[in-house]
Amino acid sequence: MTDPYRILGVQRTADDAEIKTAYRKLSRIYHPDSNVNNPNADIAEKKFKEIQEAYNQIIKEREGGTGSAQDGYRSWTGGSFYKEQTQETDEIRACITYIQNGYYKEALNVLAGISNKDAKWYYLSAIANSGAGNTATALEHARRAVSMEPDNFQYRSLLGQLERGGNWYQKQGTGYGQTFQTGGGWCCEMLALNVLCNCCCRI
Amino acid sequence: MFGYVVTNKEELKIKEWNRYQSFYCGLCRTLRTRHGIKGQMTLNYDMVFLAILLSALYESQTETKSYLCPLHPTKKQRVFQNEILEYVADMDILLAYHNLRDGWQDEKNVAKLLSAQILKSDYQKTALMYPRQSKAVTEYMEDLNKCQNRLESNVDVVAGLTGTMMAELFVFREDEWSDRLRWVGFFLGKFIYLMDAFDDMEQDQKKKQFNVWLNLKQSEELNAMIQETLIQTMAECAKIFEELPIILDIELLRNIIYAGVWTKYHRKVQSEHDRSL
Repeated sequence: MTDPYRILGVQRTADDAEIKTAYRKLSRIYHPDSNVNNPNADIAEKKFKEIQEAYNQIIKEREGGTGSAQDGYRSWTGGSFYKEQTQETDEIRACITYIQNGYYKEALNVLAGISNKDAKWYYLSAIANSGAGNTATALEHARRAVSMEPDNFQYRSLLGQLERGGNWYQKQGTGYGQTFQTGGGWCCEMLALNVLCNCCCRI
Repeated sequence: MFGYVVTNKEELKIKEWNRYQSFYCGLCRTLRTRHGIKGQMTLNYDMVFLAILLSALYESQTETKSYLCPLHPTKKQRVFQNEILEYVADMDILLAYHNLRDGWQDEKNVAKLLSAQILKSDYQKTALMYPRQSKAVTEYMEDLNKCQNRLESNVDVVAGLTGTMMAELFVFREDEWSDRLRWVGFFLGKFIYLMDAFDDMEQDQKKKQFNVWLNLKQSEELNAMIQETLIQTMAECAKIFEELPIILDIELLRNIIYAGVWTKYHRKVQSEHDRSL
């Protein structure tokens, strides 16, 4: 695929505001609404789609900085963990397939039918709940998985990623006069742990 | 709907605050024009936020009018007018009508029943114009009642209903941004519900009414858990908001999303703290 930065006409080093401005400028020119009477409307539309895709691609690539929960599952599917586990039950395998394809509610339905709730069940449930927008349950189940198997890096990494979203948000808030009274020590510890976990997962 | 989505005024620049005012007065005037004084009475901050968000995303052609408001007679107000404000005013009517009906059913508050009756014909006309949104609001009220009756204790399930409803109101039209707008509305709706439940905890306990936080195990950690859940929910909202290509009024919107929404939370925590001294 063509370099999305090139399509938007910006440097790779451009910040988010520059990317949004560039997208705005181009989409104003090529948006179907601005080309109703244009004889080359189809070309403009193709160009508009290209700009749209480029924008989405860049935004996705940059998502990591905000600690998106879905990152957790992406780094997980990319790792070697999945291949090693050959003795998965059919249900667990179905659940993983659903999660990988973004069918979180279906994944949750499969999980609801499994009675043996081990650490892996809570781990998968945390990912699926996070994807479905069930933020509180996701966090609770990620913690449960970690407490059941404290040495599992995958589980810790997921928990870290979920918590990082909250830390990122709080940090952003300080610029707008927002502070919370919390024991910062624990958060910082988890943040440090995250960095470690991420290193391990990349190997 | 509940008025939690406000600015942190202290941190706003004067020009940002002026634009906020113009949206606020703009929504008020639009409600007046479309739905009369009874419509004007339903004006609330959460909907002002939606108007600013959608106007910024779509960079809607906005007219500025000067208007002398009877409530602020000393100075002429700069009032915005655009198609988004018309849409948001209509959404406001959909929500307000159901809220008033709900208030009557729950509390037997006659004033609310009367207000609902006065809004009824505007509501019916508006509902016909927006079948998708009005269906979402109607289903929400039914599902919420069911949830309360079975004393649902899963925070995500209960708050998710408000989220699902708000998700539809945030979609002004189906296009390349509707998915993201749904998520922003979903998490903000969840936050509003959970915040409101937090605000009402003592009152609901006294009156023995349903409250999702009271259904959880009461412990010393509950307050920390509430704060964490609220933060995580807003974090999800903010993440998706940041993916939208918004330039216009971005700092004003961020002020609301990262700080303003916590105004009532801090007020309540502070007053509890003061009382315990």
